[in-house]
Amino acid sequence: MPVLRLLFIFLFLALPAQAQEKKPLRWGCDPTGGAPYVYVDDKSTDKTFIGFEVELAAYLAKKLGRDSVMVDGDWSNLPKQLDKPADVEKGLDIVLNGYELRKDLLNDYAATRPYYVYRLVMISHHETVADKELRGWADLYPTAGKPGKTVGVLGGSAAHRHVKKTFPDGVNLQSNPDVANVFKLVQDRRMDATIQDSPAATYFLKKQPELVAVGEAVKPGFYVIYYRKSDPELGAALDKAIAEGLRDGSLKAIYKKYRIWNEDQERLWYWQDQPWPPDDLDDADEVEEDGPTANPWLRLIRELLGAAGVTVLLALASFPIAMIVGLFVAVGRVYGPRWLGVPLGIYVEVIRGTPLLLQLFMIYYLIPELMFRTDVAGLVWLAKNLSPFLAGVLGLALNYSAYEAENYRAGLLAIPKGQMEAALALGMTRATAIRRIIVPQAVRLVIPPVTNDFIALFKDTSACSIILVVELTRKYNELYNFNRTLIVELAVVTAGLYLLMSYPLSIVANRFERRLNASAGGRG
Amino acid sequence: MIQITNLVKYHGSQRILDGVTVTFRAGELTALVGPSGGGKSTLLRCINGLETFHEGEIQIGTDLKLTGTGGKPHDGRALLAIRKRVGMVFQQFNLFPHRTVLENVMAGPVHALGKSRAEAIELAKSLLARVGLSDKLDSRPGNLSGGQQQRVAIARALAVDPTVILFDEPTSALDPSMIGEVLAVMRDLANSGQTMIVVTHDMDFAKQATAVLTMRAGRVVSEDLTP
Repeated sequence: MPVLRLLFIFLFLALPAQAQEKKPLRWGCDPTGGAPYVYVDDKSTDKTFIGFEVELAAYLAKKLGRDSVMVDGDWSNLPKQLDKPADVEKGLDIVLNGYELRKDLLNDYAATRPYYVYRLVMISHHETVADKELRGWADLYPTAGKPGKTVGVLGGSAAHRHVKKTFPDGVNLQSNPDVANVFKLVQDRRMDATIQDSPAATYFLKKQPELVAVGEAVKPGFYVIYYRKSDPELGAALDKAIAEGLRDGSLKAIYKKYRIWNEDQERLWYWQDQPWPPDDLDDADEVEEDGPTANPWLRLIRELLGAAGVTVLLALASFPIAMIVGLFVAVGRVYGPRWLGVPLGIYVEVIRGTPLLLQLFMIYYLIPELMFRTDVAGLVWLAKNLSPFLAGVLGLALNYSAYEAENYRAGLLAIPKGQMEAALALGMTRATAIRRIIVPQAVRLVIPPVTNDFIALFKDTSACSIILVVELTRKYNELYNFNRTLIVELAVVTAGLYLLMSYPLSIVANRFERRLNASAGGRG
Repeated sequence: MIQITNLVKYHGSQRILDGVTVTFRAGELTALVGPSGGGKSTLLRCINGLETFHEGEIQIGTDLKLTGTGGKPHDGRALLAIRKRVGMVFQQFNLFPHRTVLENVMAGPVHALGKSRAEAIELAKSLLARVGLSDKLDSRPGNLSGGQQQRVAIARALAVDPTVILFDEPTSALDPSMIGEVLAVMRDLANSGQTMIVVTHDMDFAKQATAVLTMRAGRVVSEDLTP
């Protein structure tokens, strides 16, 4: 009997395996703001992903006799996901998400033949163009009396590299992982322009009537599918499927459906039987102002140091505000009237209980959005002029003010009651006693935890990358995208820079602590 | 002159001060003695408004008066006026640890009376000389002995030029060897005609007082007026 049961179990396990025969085709993409590549149509009630790459993946999987399974990831890190096996969580067979043919990626991964030809399109607000602020690529440069234009790009994209290389100075380049956010900023005229690949440009130009294309579409390039070098059969099958799709019109049908078919795509046929990848693939895209032989580190370190400076500025500008606000909140809670204590308590709990990232997002994207809607001239002006840096400083100050309030509250509560009594007995008012006698002692008492928080804030500045501030972590991300051969080295240098900046702070904190302990001992 | 009439204070349901009526005359040293918990310190702290009281009144001089509030806080302006005239020395000294000795003594004149720093420095220096601490001007309280700290506290109280100084067990927290130096300063003050009310357990010191009031269970049970 047990034998029979075992046989049953064996059959049961074997059945689905046989039915499935081939594993699904796991394709990686980043759906964040990914129209028309991969997105959810906000007009339809059906919340499934659509997009020309979704349909392309489905077409390819069908040709390969496999099921198509979408795996999401962070766009700039998708190729990295190929380093892991395909059948683990977030594991991929292919990267199919508007990835250009790039020499640096070919070092580590293999690429199929192209499935789409894109160009870079500059998009601006029609009023910016009407104001003659921006009529072509050359207008991005600073002109007499006016700074260079603010330009948003998808971090790590071909557009990012192109702007960085073509306009190394004077253009305020801001990279962001979310394309839709960048378009929104251009639409609100908080950003002068954005450079996008033609499919995204086509989609958003149609969707947002305020947006217009400026100048010529430039730098045609290929979208390809990346796969493991160890998987040449898959590559061959994909190439075959792409070629067939071109021949029988399947790809054209998909592209036409999303209105991204154009005559550039005629080139795809030519490249289906040429040597691939092309030998003369220039690495002009690599941002190397210093030529191929020069040491790239000089430039990389310079860029990292510049970003480290932004990190320091963020920390130095925000923490004093956090300290002052925190101190007032703490004094209000400990010594203020009860009607003040309750809202201050709520303030501390709400700010402490919500993530910094969310607060930054609110300050930079949502609150200005609401200010625009009020149509009050002053508020609209404020919203338009809220720079990412300023929003970052505000967000960090707000977030840390809650923590500092708790530090100072602990300090205030630790001051013996006799101190206040002695001050009052001398004839001081309560306010004077708090200002002259209590607060100075409380502030000294909590120097160690406050210094500790400053070090923590220092590292939390990296959250500002979400709102386009190019600080050290953002810069690392960007450089890593353009210098994939130096990933480890860049990470070590970046970590080293953080340590180099925060370690002196630790030393100062320790010294304060020792001095305080010494004086406390003397007092006892 | 301080005149206290029928002072009543509760702590919850407990009657800490049970109808105290007493007069402290100007220029006299009054000792308040009696067992712990008898209400001596509470009475003292009612006089300068560090404690509220429920019934009765405290008349200070001819123009300042506190009346029972049923336990609610007194009017802030009245308290400020009283405290500028009534100084206090605490059992635990309560010096400001973040300030030097000189700055501690300057605190009252500068922050309560609004005197200039220069003026306050001169005053503080002379008061510290009077309590024998001219060599400790720049020390921190934490680096002084208990006796020295209490002498600084006396100088600090004197700095606002009060008409009366309240002493709340000024020698109770001191090592026996240091009691003498503090009492010497207090005696010197008394001899100069400073009005003082001293809560103390030191009977030797109490004997030198003009009047000795014994308190027990919230009442003044004996007034021993030595001539």
